[in-house]
Amino acid sequence: MTVSACVLLLGVLLRVPQAAINAPTASASPAAPTASAAHQEQTVYLLGKLLRCPVCQGMPVGESPSPMARDMMQLIREKVAAGESQDAIQAYFVQRYGEWVLLAPQAQGFNWLVYLLPPLALGLCGLWTVSYLGRPGRSDSAEAVAAADLQTGDAPGTQGLPDPYLEQIQRELRK
Amino acid sequence: MSLRLRYALFTALLVVPLLGVLALGFGQDPHAVPSMLEGHDAPPFVLKSLEGETFDLQKLHGKPVVLNFWATWCYPCKAEHAALQAAARHYSTAVQFLGVVYQDTPETAKDYLRAQTSVFANLVDPHARMAIDYGVAGVPESYFISPQGRIVYKHAGVLDTMLLQRILDPLVLQAETMRKSGAPL
Repeated sequence: MTVSACVLLLGVLLRVPQAAINAPTASASPAAPTASAAHQEQTVYLLGKLLRCPVCQGMPVGESPSPMARDMMQLIREKVAAGESQDAIQAYFVQRYGEWVLLAPQAQGFNWLVYLLPPLALGLCGLWTVSYLGRPGRSDSAEAVAAADLQTGDAPGTQGLPDPYLEQIQRELRK
Repeated sequence: MSLRLRYALFTALLVVPLLGVLALGFGQDPHAVPSMLEGHDAPPFVLKSLEGETFDLQKLHGKPVVLNFWATWCYPCKAEHAALQAAARHYSTAVQFLGVVYQDTPETAKDYLRAQTSVFANLVDPHARMAIDYGVAGVPESYFISPQGRIVYKHAGVLDTMLLQRILDPLVLQAETMRKSGAPL
């Protein structure tokens, strides 16, 4: 569970840079032709990272060398150049391939579980660990053992345990 | 509640949902791409065949259409070739069969078809525009379009005669009923 939770959490964390990249995209000024071209190329790049290549193993279309992915990238480039928004292009592919085509599921409905469960599970595990370690009557806690050793006069950590060396010394003394 | 019971409950709370997710995942084909266009209007296309004839989906309304995406490098496509040709001969003009050459060159497709018997036209799909429009995720994939122009079924994988008959017989019947009743398409 911890491993899968970590993997999912990593997936959530990986969305942060993507959002950070999105921010300048939205605020880019289309006034200058070069800025507009750069903005378009950035939108193509982002969509290429977001969309899954249908004929590959979990690869984004922007990184896949397959002819199908190249054709999809070409279509994305044309749609962006034609003035279609990022959402509209994403919706076009979702309409044809389903949400499967999105490498990061949309944060809505049942998908929220993917984003909420891992931190929730980690939080619960943390709480349980803290409560377990802080339990006063925990029999195997280091403090409890040391206190018991002090009371009985045993060597630290040897309370109630047969010590073969001690027994051997006692046998030698008895001779 | 005893400590042992609490441990058991805690473990069950963690393990049972995880097992559920795993069972759900293992029960599905990870390569299967969902079919989103079933029940929706087939995306329109106007494409040329390998022989240069133009095919417009709009003009085919009124009869069932079978679109078969294939390639010469695809062995399952070759495996279903005979069944498709037999079905095309059986239904003759009642059903429009169309092959769509996928990620392949027209020359290679022509060479292959020259050695085979092909009774229906095969379309050239530049830059896989039609394939993307139909949500194709590999070959062979076949789309069955109703006389009204709606995608009624998508089949990913090799087709056989029984399956073709099971899907096409009701569509042919539907087209005949519409023609007799003069219902608008």
